[in-house]
Amino acid sequence: MTSGAEPLLSVRDLVQEFVVRDYGGVKGGVVNAVSGVSFDVWPGETLGIVGETGSGKSTLARSVLQAPRPKSGAVVFRGADLVTLRGSSLLQARRHLQMVFQDPFGSLDPKWKVRDLVAEPLIAYRVGDRAARRRRVEAVLELVGLDPAGHGGRRPRELSGGQAQRVAIARALAIEPAMIICDEPVSSLDVLIQAQVLNLFEQLRAELRLSYLFIAHDLALVKQVSDRVAVMYLGKLCEVGPGEAVYRQPLHPYTRALLDSVPGAATARPAAIRGEPPSPVHPPSGCRFRTRCPRAEQRCADEEPAMRELATGHSVACHFPLVPVAEVTVRSEERIGETPR
Amino acid sequence: MSAPLPDLRPAPDAAIAAPVRKKARGRASTLRIWIPAGFLILLAFACFIWPQIYPVPKPVGGSILEAGLPPFSPGHILGTDPNGNDVLSRILYGGQVSFEVGFSVTVIGLVVGGLLGMAAGYWRGITDTSIMRVLDVLIAFPALVLALAIAEGLGPSESHVIWALAIFSIPATGRIARSATLAIREQNFMLAARLSGTRGWRVIGRHVIPNILPQLMTFALLGFGIVIILEGALSYLGLGIPLPEPSWGSMIAQGQQVLSAAPEQALIPSAFLFATVVALNLLGDGLRERWGVR
Amino acid sequence: MNRVSTASGPLLEVENLRVSFPGRRSELRAVNGMSYSLYPQRTLAIVGESGSGKTVSCRALMGLLPQAAVVTGSARFRGVELLGLTDDEMRRHRGTNIAMVFQDPSRSLNPTMKVGNQIAEAVRVHQRVSKAEAGQQAIELLRLVHIPVPGRRFHEYPHQLSGGMRQRVMIAIALACRPKLLIADEATTALDVTTQAQIMDLLLELQAELGMTLMLISHDLGLARSCADEVIVMYAGQIVEQASTPQLFARVRMPYTQALFEAIPRLERPSHAPLPVIGGRPPDLSALPAGCSFAPRCRRAADDCRATTPPLAEHEPGHRWACWHPIETPVA
Repeated sequence: MTSGAEPLLSVRDLVQEFVVRDYGGVKGGVVNAVSGVSFDVWPGETLGIVGETGSGKSTLARSVLQAPRPKSGAVVFRGADLVTLRGSSLLQARRHLQMVFQDPFGSLDPKWKVRDLVAEPLIAYRVGDRAARRRRVEAVLELVGLDPAGHGGRRPRELSGGQAQRVAIARALAIEPAMIICDEPVSSLDVLIQAQVLNLFEQLRAELRLSYLFIAHDLALVKQVSDRVAVMYLGKLCEVGPGEAVYRQPLHPYTRALLDSVPGAATARPAAIRGEPPSPVHPPSGCRFRTRCPRAEQRCADEEPAMRELATGHSVACHFPLVPVAEVTVRSEERIGETPR
Repeated sequence: MSAPLPDLRPAPDAAIAAPVRKKARGRASTLRIWIPAGFLILLAFACFIWPQIYPVPKPVGGSILEAGLPPFSPGHILGTDPNGNDVLSRILYGGQVSFEVGFSVTVIGLVVGGLLGMAAGYWRGITDTSIMRVLDVLIAFPALVLALAIAEGLGPSESHVIWALAIFSIPATGRIARSATLAIREQNFMLAARLSGTRGWRVIGRHVIPNILPQLMTFALLGFGIVIILEGALSYLGLGIPLPEPSWGSMIAQGQQVLSAAPEQALIPSAFLFATVVALNLLGDGLRERWGVR
Repeated sequence: MNRVSTASGPLLEVENLRVSFPGRRSELRAVNGMSYSLYPQRTLAIVGESGSGKTVSCRALMGLLPQAAVVTGSARFRGVELLGLTDDEMRRHRGTNIAMVFQDPSRSLNPTMKVGNQIAEAVRVHQRVSKAEAGQQAIELLRLVHIPVPGRRFHEYPHQLSGGMRQRVMIAIALACRPKLLIADEATTALDVTTQAQIMDLLLELQAELGMTLMLISHDLGLARSCADEVIVMYAGQIVEQASTPQLFARVRMPYTQALFEAIPRLERPSHAPLPVIGGRPPDLSALPAGCSFAPRCRRAADDCRATTPPLAEHEPGHRWACWHPIETPVA
């Protein structure tokens, strides 16, 4: 899936923090939402990022788009580092990078009509004249399976969830992006509608040669739509690799735990992961997953694991990664039942 | 087109909540809007248009010979005041004043206060801080003392009243506009608009204003009523519309002097003032309910 | 602590339950004739999408529907009719007989009250005990739901707990008076998948320990498969298929169930494989089509499907479905 020498999007050491205000506005602590994340997305590729609540995946998406600007790091999109750009140069550089949000109704201005919503990026980037814009809006609405005549004049609250999400996708497609960042785009939709919208994503990917950064908390979903998968925990990436490889041969204990927790995954369920996710204001020292990891040892508390490539294109940040399949079953059964630390 | 069934997951309550909510919006809420609105429209018509098309006695320059006539006297359906002026006519012309002052102050507040508030809420940071401090200074001025100063310095007049009250209305509207803007600023559709390339004032004009307008309008209506009362108070104190020009406030002041002999002199303008303000409040409430403003 | 039910009959018997809401122009028929039986200590999963009626039907059992709702039919809990009870009578049932855990714990817990007190309050609704005694029971319940250091957590507020912990507190509140039936209405939908696994394990463990019957409402067929003994699939207010879990997943019969099943992304599927989808949207509950509600979207629909509604019947022992043209060949 890698075509061309340069990645379309290259993120290096991205850091994003939020200040938590206590009562009275006093600084209470700092949420380390994203702590040094690096990855590449190649043209035509879909990179899936899977993480649970508190993993920082949504913050990551917004930081890539500079909304708000990350505290540090580099986001190179089509050769331009977005972090260093301001104002109209940022707008121009970011033009081919669009986003689709989780809640379709929240991401569409409730007072606007569908055709105006889809035309907004065309107007802002001054694409064509009125007639050309109208044609483009109609074309893109049809592309997502909506009827321009029937749906164009409606407001979001007159649409169903699936239709509203299609409008959001149409808006993202209007100015011919190279890449779309999808932040949980189907999580608020019913199963059958979800499948429809996912198929739409695939169809658009094939027809328009789009790249996606697809973010979700559902591992099966992410694997379904992605070429490569990255697993995120508490602001850091644990494992990155081709979807099949991550699924068949997970190297990180957290990935293993995620796989085991999928309902209906296995008929005999191994024990679910223990403990509660730690607070992102006070993440554990060293490896952030160590407080819930059945394999944790002293080294995990002392030293933060670096991302190492163990197989082609398959990297993991763990001092004691799970090794190939045969041994995995034995080791994880051994360790389950022991209290970590 | 029947309402499509939402296929969002948070729907467990949707099927339950939706039909009940639909029932509440119905004839009752429409009445709550149109009855006060109808009254106000009628009153505005009476004050502004009626005297143009129907000969109404002049509100000033009455003869002392006709002073103190009771209501239902021939030619003076509400009687005359101690100076011989027709009360109904003074009510109507005084009503013009109330509407003019109320309208002007409200519009100034909406435009100036609204823009400042939206700018503060949207851009935050130093813009927010500086605008809010300016508005704080304005709101700290006691309106009546300021009006007194202006009246003393520049002489009382309708436009002076308007400016004095505007100093009050701008920060009040500004605060509402700011908090409404803050509330929607964090919504995803605002971020989506910025990601679509729309910038600055265009975002405010096309996204913020349409969404906060219901809140601003309902606040403006309630403010309208308050301004009318304030104008009445100022005129009552002699700081507003100078005599002999009619104003409901000054009519009440005059009526106070003959309260025991001819109570209707004070009661009639009071009743009109009361009814107008109540109608404005009811209209504001009805619209708030209809537009779902919290 | 084991409360094994000695009754040999079903714990809950629902017959022809119908719920409708009067709308401005027409009625909204949320539940259209639902009948099933639930036996003690079993786990039943009711699966469906939004608008299927699964939540409304359970709220009808608990008496939690708005005044405007029109409820007909019968729902007997151990022989006692639940529908049509007065508020007071229903209150006596809630807690001691049936309890419910809802989807979003942050909306169901009082943010200004300590969690321990909220549990104690639930205890004192049904038992005449002192505040201290209720507090003790609350700590025991916190321990029961595996909240570590329950003595300390008692004094915390909901916002100080994580989503999983809050849901555990909700479960503790629901268990305060040892209900015989616990209904979990999308109780894990708002939680992360790892937390969801923990909470489901907890519920199953509690069921075994306390001899409870469990009813799971969910849109997640996978969850039903791994946790339930029996599954009911609902569409447009009716039961379209019902069977024990192994039976259902071995031989899905109703095309809607199959569509649900196929639409779920599965780890085993290769990347970018198109998901088998069916078009359209769930029907408008105020204007249900004649005949089978699923017919407009069903690939196998024929004229008889559109003309008459197929009845729910036990075509195979232990497996009921409502379809004129059920799937014959087994699904992978």
